[in-house]
Amino acid sequence: MRVVICGVGALGSTAVSLCRNLPVELRLVDFDRVESKNLAAQWFVKQSIGKNKAEAARLQLANFYGAKGAGGPAVEAMGVRLAASNAAQLLAGCGLAVDCFDNADSRIALAEAARARDLPLVHGALAADGTFGLVRWDERFTPDREDEPGQPTCEGGEHLPMIGLVGAALARAIQDFVRDGSRHDYSITLSGMSRTF
Amino acid sequence: MILNITYQGQSADYHLALDYNASDADIRRIAWEVVRSGSIRGMHVPHLAEAAFRGYVVDRLRAPGGEPRIYLRPKVPFGASVAGGGGG
Repeated sequence: MRVVICGVGALGSTAVSLCRNLPVELRLVDFDRVESKNLAAQWFVKQSIGKNKAEAARLQLANFYGAKGAGGPAVEAMGVRLAASNAAQLLAGCGLAVDCFDNADSRIALAEAARARDLPLVHGALAADGTFGLVRWDERFTPDREDEPGQPTCEGGEHLPMIGLVGAALARAIQDFVRDGSRHDYSITLSGMSRTF
Repeated sequence: MILNITYQGQSADYHLALDYNASDADIRRIAWEVVRSGSIRGMHVPHLAEAAFRGYVVDRLRAPGGEPRIYLRPKVPFGASVAGGGGG
């Protein structure tokens, strides 16, 4: 199975790192580049700075665990912004889509493209104050908008433990789906994680 | 009916007789009352501001067994560490 992970920032890069042992091919989609400030909360290192995030995550998996065919995970990077015009190409051949985007418009664009192709889609999402996160399958998910455009969140690494928890829950949901097709939702708070569906 | 409230990183269930289609405003008001009064386990905030749940999202979902549940939770707009960027 090929799994496309859309958005490789805090949540996406963390989930990617925890999906490295799954028997899948990973396709990473992100148009953004790694900046030094990203290192506090995203699964990147100094050598990643300046690189496209999807490509930086692919390189990091290869450097840490080996390239495809040499013991490492099979990963391809797509350094583009997902839009209606390229969704068919980005989602082609995938059995699962994973939404780690950081804004409602991108989430909606991905959801529309996935629904049009009957492609299973799971969303990962964080509250701005780092106290709460959700992993929910598309049939039970409605994207929330920011309170104001450009609202900052999770900067400086203060919320890294919560990002780790939500990323782990998302990786677990992916793992369950790959294993037997189950679609579990998770709710993550400062006091723990619970399965809500 | 179960109303699940998430506030300041804590989450708890509250059992009550409630119309599944009660308005979002009613649900926020009920949540404010039960958290303020300490009626919900582990979540007692006596001086909770009346606007504490303004902007919170109401989800009406069915559990795997089909029973309806209402969730009151903070918004979750983000997957990235910098809003407005591409990836999360």
